[in-house]
Amino acid sequence: MTDPKQIEQVESAARSRNRRIADALKANRARAAVFASLLFLFLAAMSGLEADQWFSTLMQGLSYGAIVFLVASGFQLIFGLMDVLNLAHGELFMLGAYVGWTVYTRFDTFVDVLVPLLVLAAPFALLPLWRRIGTRIAGRSGIARAAPWGFMAAGAVLVVLSITKFPLVIWDATGFAETPVNMSVQIDLGILEPLPADSFAWPLLIAFFVLFAGGAAFALGIAALRAHPGQHTALTSRHLGAVAGLVAGAVVLYLVKEPLNDWVFGLSTTWRFFIAMAVSVAFGAAAGAFIEVILIRPLYDRPIYTLMITLGVGYVLIETAREVWGRPEFTMARPAAFNGTGDGCPAEGFGGFFSGCSTLVIFGSRLRVYNEGFIVLMGVLVLIGVTLLLQRTRIGMTIRAGVQDPEMVEALGINVRRVFTQVFALGSGLAALGGVLAAPSIGLSTEMGALFLLTAIVALAIGGLTSFPGAAAGALLVGLLQQIIIRLGQTGIDIPFVSEPFKPSPTLVPAASIILMVIILLVLPAGLFGRGSR
Amino acid sequence: MNLLELRDVHTFIGQFHILEGVSIDVPEASVVALLGRNGAGKTTTLKTILGLTPAKSGSVVFEGTDITEHRSFDIAGLGIGYVPEHRAIFADLSVEENLRIAERRKGDLERKEDLVFGLFPDLKRLINLPGTSLSGGQQQMLAVARALVPDNRLLLIDEPSEGLAPVLIEQMMEAIRSLSEHTTVLLVEQNFIVASRLGETYVIIEEGRSVQSGEMADLVGDEETIQRYLGV
Repeated sequence: MTDPKQIEQVESAARSRNRRIADALKANRARAAVFASLLFLFLAAMSGLEADQWFSTLMQGLSYGAIVFLVASGFQLIFGLMDVLNLAHGELFMLGAYVGWTVYTRFDTFVDVLVPLLVLAAPFALLPLWRRIGTRIAGRSGIARAAPWGFMAAGAVLVVLSITKFPLVIWDATGFAETPVNMSVQIDLGILEPLPADSFAWPLLIAFFVLFAGGAAFALGIAALRAHPGQHTALTSRHLGAVAGLVAGAVVLYLVKEPLNDWVFGLSTTWRFFIAMAVSVAFGAAAGAFIEVILIRPLYDRPIYTLMITLGVGYVLIETAREVWGRPEFTMARPAAFNGTGDGCPAEGFGGFFSGCSTLVIFGSRLRVYNEGFIVLMGVLVLIGVTLLLQRTRIGMTIRAGVQDPEMVEALGINVRRVFTQVFALGSGLAALGGVLAAPSIGLSTEMGALFLLTAIVALAIGGLTSFPGAAAGALLVGLLQQIIIRLGQTGIDIPFVSEPFKPSPTLVPAASIILMVIILLVLPAGLFGRGSR
Repeated sequence: MNLLELRDVHTFIGQFHILEGVSIDVPEASVVALLGRNGAGKTTTLKTILGLTPAKSGSVVFEGTDITEHRSFDIAGLGIGYVPEHRAIFADLSVEENLRIAERRKGDLERKEDLVFGLFPDLKRLINLPGTSLSGGQQQMLAVARALVPDNRLLLIDEPSEGLAPVLIEQMMEAIRSLSEHTTVLLVEQNFIVASRLGETYVIIEEGRSVQSGEMADLVGDEETIQRYLGV
């Protein structure tokens, strides 16, 4: 190699390589310093606590962090893959709590609402068909332009007309005897009975048919509104099967609802809670998929619009919850397995988590089995489950690849749009799970969504917006920090040369995580685990 | 018989009229080189075939099926492999996962193991490394190998020699020549020496139009055409 040009090339390559290595070291040095100081702060805070408090504070932090993680992880998955900031994510969390509460406390009402919802959802499974018809209708003339709106209006009228004819067992949101709050007390006492059923105002078949037609007209209107020729999905037997399944499900549910209600009301609250969890997750996932397909899919190349529309969806969901459930705040009764008292309670040691007691004592600290045991366990299970899904399955591989380059994934023959919908459903399902888990510990309120989404976004900024482990780390840090500050607010921090111990006021609790975020972002602009912007 | 035919294809990206009439014949079991200057529309032509930037008018016909309005994953599923410019290796995936994700049926990778690792023995050694830890040449090999995993009838290869050291270009040309024995290839290549040694026929694209096509052997001696359309 004698050519000076070549030598220079090799040298400059070596130089840039050295610089890269130096940069990497520097970045990791900052990261190591951050981790070390976080650990030091944590130990300092723990040592400042009384002997009987450090463990319960730690577990409370984990518990709060687990809920934040369930919100943050779904938000992160959706943002990572689709670059959509789903501002309705907090409201899906809230909806999960309310739906879970309803299934848990008022299963009869839930069944009554589910029947028309299934019929209403059925025509949307035929979207490819509506798109095809919509393309025919669409045109430049005034009538063709008005047609979609006409269809949607007609659909809305039919839906409202028929859905009010369905017999809904509903509680009185304002009356004293039948309020959500009272029902929680009744379920605690084990005296909750199914409410007397209303009867159908229309013959069953007509109500079903009109509701289906209304849903179909609405779906056709939406499809026609954005009809453009080309790139259609074919209508397959799977779509028809979905429609048949939804309608058949509604009919069967309607026919068996009396025995089903009796059976569910006879179950222990523990089983009802697990049913509530499953239904809530399914409901959240379905709601997420619906929002993605109908509202977000047409707007992927307009990020501001997706921001606005998800913000709007969030407000609609808040007002819906306020209208349906009335009282702004109430709590869900804790399931029996985590609510025992009396002989042998509180239990001692880690075995106490399975004792059925509501509280147990570990290292001299008093813990609530549900809050500090079950929620933390569920958070850990979700962390493991989603990590396995991302690392070990084909869809996980597709998601990781799609985060980087969805176009290339599509070019390999993978239907990326379907993966988008699935991830939206997964993220929303996780949020709903967080909601139903939070309902017995933190309680239900229409503001819980906004509050937890904000905390989750702070946690994501700390952990790194692009990283799933970052979501877990950030949520953990925020949870611990908030609970430690709350506890220090009670005990006070001894500061040298100051006579009175410093007691952080409650307003410092949310402020502390923001301050932590600012400090970490100053040192590591991409967060703890985030990669630099690409 | 032509495996792929483009007829008067027009493509817009946003408001920009990128392809203004491209017609290409890709005969079965041939290597067609797509030539032209930077920005002439060669990459857009490949993306239009795949439906990544769908054609606004004209037709794209693959094996007798009009795929102009099909969605990308459907088109790829018919048996078209894509090796994009800049490789598009997935950084968060290992080398094996980068190959595995291209499977259309379970076990594709096992079935094609001999072909893939026969052409690119290096990849076998690197199989567990993350995609980003590969050198540029290794990434290019991985990108080509990825397109070989499923049963593809046609490969769209964009700039395989770009940014490679001369010795690697030789190796890459050898690989493409060898795989073209059982697959049809539509090749975009800036480097005329590479293109002329691999391509059997050529199509020249100039400002979004296909302006000339024919046998590669005829083009090689035609200094005037080369100067006019490809000269820098």
